[in-house]
Amino acid sequence: MLEVRNLKASYGQVQVLHDISLTVPKGKVVTLIGSNGAGKTTTMRAISGMIKPASGQVVLSGKNIAGLPSHRIAKLGLAHSPEGRKVFPTQSIMDNLLLGAFTRLSMGGGRPKGDVSSDLDRALDLFPRLRERQHQLAGTLSGGEQQMLAMARALMLNPEVLLLDEPSLGLAPILVDEVFHIINRLKEQGITMLLVEQFAAAALAVADYGYVMENGKIAVHGPAKDLQNDPKVVAAYLGGGH
Amino acid sequence: MEILLQLILSGVALGMIYAVVAFGYQSTFATSGTLNFGQGEALMLGAMFGLSLAGDVMGGPYLNYWLMIPAVLIFGAFQGMVVEAVGVRPAIKTKSEFGWIMSTIALGIIFRNVAENIWGKDDMPFPSPISSTPLHIFGASVLPMELMVDVGALLMMVLVELFNRKTIYGKAVVATASDRDAAGLMGINTRMVITFSYALSSMSAAFAGVLIAPITLTGASMGAVLGLKAFAVAIIGGLNSGMGIIVGGILLGIAETTTGFYLSTGYKDVPGLVLLLLVLAIKPSGLFGKTAIKKV
Ligand SMILES: Nc1ncnc2c1ncn2[C@@H]1O[C@H](COP(=O)(O)OP(=O)(O)O)[C@@H](O)[C@H]1O
Ligand SMILES: [Mg+2]
Repeated sequence: MLEVRNLKASYGQVQVLHDISLTVPKGKVVTLIGSNGAGKTTTMRAISGMIKPASGQVVLSGKNIAGLPSHRIAKLGLAHSPEGRKVFPTQSIMDNLLLGAFTRLSMGGGRPKGDVSSDLDRALDLFPRLRERQHQLAGTLSGGEQQMLAMARALMLNPEVLLLDEPSLGLAPILVDEVFHIINRLKEQGITMLLVEQFAAAALAVADYGYVMENGKIAVHGPAKDLQNDPKVVAAYLGGGH
Repeated sequence: MEILLQLILSGVALGMIYAVVAFGYQSTFATSGTLNFGQGEALMLGAMFGLSLAGDVMGGPYLNYWLMIPAVLIFGAFQGMVVEAVGVRPAIKTKSEFGWIMSTIALGIIFRNVAENIWGKDDMPFPSPISSTPLHIFGASVLPMELMVDVGALLMMVLVELFNRKTIYGKAVVATASDRDAAGLMGINTRMVITFSYALSSMSAAFAGVLIAPITLTGASMGAVLGLKAFAVAIIGGLNSGMGIIVGGILLGIAETTTGFYLSTGYKDVPGLVLLLLVLAIKPSGLFGKTAIKKV
């Protein structure tokens, strides 16, 4: 479904990604873990076109999308809930969700329209807090609610692949549990996901497969079950007792 | 008292013109962090083009005033797209922080020169579409055209606001203004949105041109000072506040008509230019300081 091959990316002169390769099979949840600054967000940004990779391939449903602008990649069915949420603060929750469906609602948007209003209903069922506040401006939401909005907004694309970058960042523990609960439900619905998480243990628990990133490289990868029992991974990332 | 009311009503009409032009500055600033310093010339070109269609300067009239307006709007939109493609996009692409300032000013000068060559340097009257017999409101005599300016300007701003709030395309424009990166992830072509905002900006200036032309005169130099003063209004009113530019525009308009009457018409441009100088003195860096240019 999504295959990244030898991806390199830099900020200015500084190369941040060195030959990243990873695969996200259809219907599977793949997690990318690693310490702060390892390059996880940069990987996500290079996949979704927020930055242009220096070289390498990003293959989505058989098509190389590396280097395309983000709006064209979105049209091909890749949704990205970015680090830091990036909701549209001056617009209502409903408007944010409709913007998530922009590729389906606009002329030449590129995605089949399907039933936007029933998808909207499903998204609001998944995040009941958002339903209550649907006419409120997104900027007035708490951090946790904004995170849910960012996820719901990404789902509105009806994506082939969903990228979630640190959906639990900065959330209270109860909300972290809720976010993982929702990720589980999305998995049950068969949504193909690439998940970046600081809570490595929780991420590996929900994922089918995992990649561990260090200094811009993939250090270890394997089925999530194996990584959960890998002594090096345990020592470096799972020792914190999350 | 009647005189003062009359001055106020004329000032409001003038102020609404400033507000419409200032609105154009806001619309490009919101999406791209850049401004078209040729807004005044966009207004002038709109008025000249309108005069050529609805007046008798080029063998016309070909259209009446009302049918001329949509043609002028299309013309204005097209002119704005040219400014964006020629003057702004290359500067944004090369990440030249202030290149667009020079290029939009230069384009404005070119447009003025072209207009002088096509239509000459003299001011010309613009036929009034409605009666030019003054109406009497509480003893003050008001030109019907002045009221039409108010209505037209408000109508335009309300329509744009409705577009932004109610249509998915308008929502996309607002989203692009608040977060370009996130808007791109939604599948919104933000480059196209910027082009659109330039089209909208020049279109509103061109509209302001044909609204005000029947009250003033039409000529190649009509836009320059107007564009500057509307810029002051946009800065004072806030580059992102719709209410701010209406209030700011009206205050400036009234200051000008009263100055013109009680001091001398020779001084009528002074309040606006003093305002501009004040703005530049008080917030010299504040104008572009932080959001000099949004990176592409
Ligand atoms: N916008 C940027 N400009 C320059 N360097 C950056 C930028 N964003 C991230 N970096 C650097 O790139 C490296 C990888 O960062 P990032 O991908 O955000 O890591 P992670 O998401 O794994 O914490 C870090 O060294 C970080 O400092
Ligand atoms: Mg990160």
